[in-house]
Amino acid sequence: MPQNPYYPSSITTFDYLSSIFFKNNWKWFISNTEKDKINNILMRIGLYDKKNISIENLSGGEMQKINIALGLISGADVLLLDEPASNMDLNNQVNILKLLKELTSKNITIVIIMHDLSLAMKYGDNFIGITNENKIIQKNSIDFFTPENLKEIFNMNFEIVKGQNNTYVQILD
Amino acid sequence: MTKKQILSIILLVFLFFICLFLCLFYKLDINNKELILSYIRIPTIIKAIISGSCLAIAGMFLQTISKNALADPYLTGLSAGAGFGIVISILLFNSVNYSIFGFIGAIITAFLVILLSGFSKFSITKLILIGLSLNLFTGAIISFLILKNPDKSYEMTLILTGGFSSSEISDKFLVILFILTLIICSIFIPKLNALRLDNKLIFKNQSAANKYNIIFVILAAFLTSISVYCAGILGFVGIICPLLSKLIFGNDIRLLFFTNILLGSSLLLFSNFISTNIIYPLQIPLGIVISIVGVPFFIFFLLKKGGILNN
Repeated sequence: MPQNPYYPSSITTFDYLSSIFFKNNWKWFISNTEKDKINNILMRIGLYDKKNISIENLSGGEMQKINIALGLISGADVLLLDEPASNMDLNNQVNILKLLKELTSKNITIVIIMHDLSLAMKYGDNFIGITNENKIIQKNSIDFFTPENLKEIFNMNFEIVKGQNNTYVQILD
Repeated sequence: MTKKQILSIILLVFLFFICLFLCLFYKLDINNKELILSYIRIPTIIKAIISGSCLAIAGMFLQTISKNALADPYLTGLSAGAGFGIVISILLFNSVNYSIFGFIGAIITAFLVILLSGFSKFSITKLILIGLSLNLFTGAIISFLILKNPDKSYEMTLILTGGFSSSEISDKFLVILFILTLIICSIFIPKLNALRLDNKLIFKNQSAANKYNIIFVILAAFLTSISVYCAGILGFVGIICPLLSKLIFGNDIRLLFFTNILLGSSLLLFSNFISTNIIYPLQIPLGIVISIVGVPFFIFFLLKKGGILNN
């Protein structure tokens, strides 16, 4: 998914999602099962009541959810997302990441580029960091967030703070 | 479909038939009724309907795949390329036979636009820019050829300014060609409903999307050459009709296909009516009338509902 996709004007949420069904077929109309599929996915992302309003009236977070839904409808096993939670308020960021986390339990692999370390740490399972020297560090949550790794990747000093249930990343100057 | 859309379609059909009626029966001489109808008016309205709907559909194709409201057969150089092919054939072949050769020439020149914009690394922005410069280039060459060949300048000027008396092809052939093209287009139309979204969301990579983009550019080139063949190079129709129908009917290409046919042919029929009747014995070139009729109308709509250009 690109960072700033192009959106056609004056198109409803439902029509926007239904577009994908015209890609691989030659038919003029979409079937009822496909309509149900769209309705189901809209219910799952909590936008069913907005299915007949124009996409220009949706917020950035809602639009991002719609695009993720587009990927799901098309039957993708792997979603590649370039900063899906950028330009959003914290609530929407968390909502989107929760939705994505939910999808991982349904055998969908999700690869996200993120810059927010604390959110990444909370929702991610596996982490890949790339240093300036193109060295790739690939580890799970506990092994990845160490001051040494982060120093190598970002060239900044970090401190890992252990709370009661969670671990936090703190930037040192 | 909403109530508003259905009402607009009924209005549009009504408008189409008013224009058709005006073009056919306005100031019809009772004594020579059948002669005038079958030799002058019916061939003219057939050409008007065909060229108008072809331009409108071609404009819709180009605007949808390029996601640019400014893309149309005239600005992308497809019209000029087709016109150039026909002018060349006017020069090379005698006037009875130039119809078929001109048509082939038009298609070849339209392909050149696609080739120049690069088959392997096809990009729509490049297509528009190359089309724009090719448009100016061929326009200049046509003007030059008109100056150099005064004996054939009338036919060539008609291609450049637009008018229905330019071609000598039979109506039957044109109608069959037009219907065949519409059938081919209607096979591909639903695909445009997917292509209206961001290509990166729909396709795995750009080359998969370009496969469809190139199909639609070829279709648009074909439609444009039919239209240039009927009525010469006409600007504005290919940009006004798709935008206007998008403003009124929303973004469903399946619906827009039909509204574009109706809107394009109504616009050309109405312009034809004005061009033949407003200063009665004199015939104003069609291109001039279209600009005078279409542009104020278009600007009015744009000011009233201009959000469509803001993407």
